[in-house]
Amino acid sequence: MVILTHQEAYIQLASPIHRWLPQQKLIGLFALMFAFAAVRQLALLVPMLAVTAVLYGLSQLPISFLGQRLRYPGMFILAVVLVLPLASGETVLWQWGWLAVRQEGLQTMGLVLGRFLSILTLGFILLGTTPFLSLIKAMRSLGLPAILTDMTLLSYRYLYEIADTLAIMQQAMQLRGFGQTRQRRLRLDRRVLQQLASLIGTLLIRSYERSERVYKAMRLRGYGRPQEPVKTVRAGQKRLPDKVGWALTGATLSLAVGFVVAEVALSRL
Amino acid sequence: MHIPDGILPVQVSAGGYAIASLVTWYSLRQINRKSDPTAEIPKASLLTAAFFVGSSIYIPIPPTSIHLILNGLMGVVLGYFAFPAILIGLFFQALIIGHGGLTTLGVNATMMGVPALLAYHIFQLRHSLGRSLPGTWGTGLFAFLGGALGLGLAALVFFVLVITTIPSGFDATTEQTAIVGLSIAHIPLMVIEGAFTATLVLFLQRVKPELLEGVGKS
Repeated sequence: MVILTHQEAYIQLASPIHRWLPQQKLIGLFALMFAFAAVRQLALLVPMLAVTAVLYGLSQLPISFLGQRLRYPGMFILAVVLVLPLASGETVLWQWGWLAVRQEGLQTMGLVLGRFLSILTLGFILLGTTPFLSLIKAMRSLGLPAILTDMTLLSYRYLYEIADTLAIMQQAMQLRGFGQTRQRRLRLDRRVLQQLASLIGTLLIRSYERSERVYKAMRLRGYGRPQEPVKTVRAGQKRLPDKVGWALTGATLSLAVGFVVAEVALSRL
Repeated sequence: MHIPDGILPVQVSAGGYAIASLVTWYSLRQINRKSDPTAEIPKASLLTAAFFVGSSIYIPIPPTSIHLILNGLMGVVLGYFAFPAILIGLFFQALIIGHGGLTTLGVNATMMGVPALLAYHIFQLRHSLGRSLPGTWGTGLFAFLGGALGLGLAALVFFVLVITTIPSGFDATTEQTAIVGLSIAHIPLMVIEGAFTATLVLFLQRVKPELLEGVGKS
């Protein structure tokens, strides 16, 4: 399954982005992502890609990490935007019979691809340099409701085990002959639909029954009872974010504001 | 059917987050009304993971195969937990496989989550309107409608957003025709999604009926 890749393979690196406090990193990178989403001016395309490249360089993540993750969503976005130079705009740059490449469509395609590449890369920097648990804790400290936090953590905890269960069930189905008979006609086989519904139904039932055992174990460990305040951190021991983290937060927030201001100013020219 | 980063104007992305926050708040409010909401969290969480994994399955329709969305089914099974579950599932997809996006998370959650809540309410009609139907017909029919409309509405919102926000150079009439045409082309997929939802719900009713009554229902 696609989700079973080594997501946290580069978590142990010690780059400035890795040492950046998760809360600050979340705020800084999200602000930059939304600022990039606001970019409509072609003049901002190169600065946007340059900022992304600098941040990716600072993260010390290998290019192969990005390449692997961009492949699948990249194919999707290409399928959406490749038609734009052929359909959108009036200034014809190149024509062959009825086929014409237009300047305005080409510019829109460049903008969409640039924004997509930059925002997605920032997302992968966030995930590639922050352990998933730290990310969720940071989101909780920034106001994510407790139910959403608990659900996210529990879902993530059992995601891979449930994926393994499904893989075993699918293998068992194939060994019993599922998918062996080939049809050539374009039609939906009712029996296949029932078999796949039973497969997902059984997966849901197994997960549901497992959740009852998980809940009992969680209750025994005190889940759902009112928590007493934890007094383990003394004022003198409180970990302060380092200067690099503050500098990165300041820089990303300033850049985000700068991109929005530049976008507004350029659109009025 | 996920809108990736970089396509939508930032105002639409921000609006998506605003609507998703509002619907999340409403869903959590309904969940917290239960006598012991914490008891439902592990069930909803593991089912969320199961739905996330299960949505990777393709239905073979030779010579091709189609991908199920399962948002209507999530509404039918998870009730008010469906919206947080879809939000979490989309968050995983955006972070782990780059499917969808972080700036478009709110839009995608609204696009799939609101139809899921609608599917839940449609499925609840089996208790009133479906009572007069013989045997399991009521359950099957309202599960079909929930599954089919869950996908249909999500597809409609997807096409409206993508076609009207990408500057294609087409006039409003052409865009409208494209939206209607693509939506009509999705009717066979709605039928398949509805049939799959109905088949699965009837399977659950036979084997584990409490799964259709317990989680997240107010």
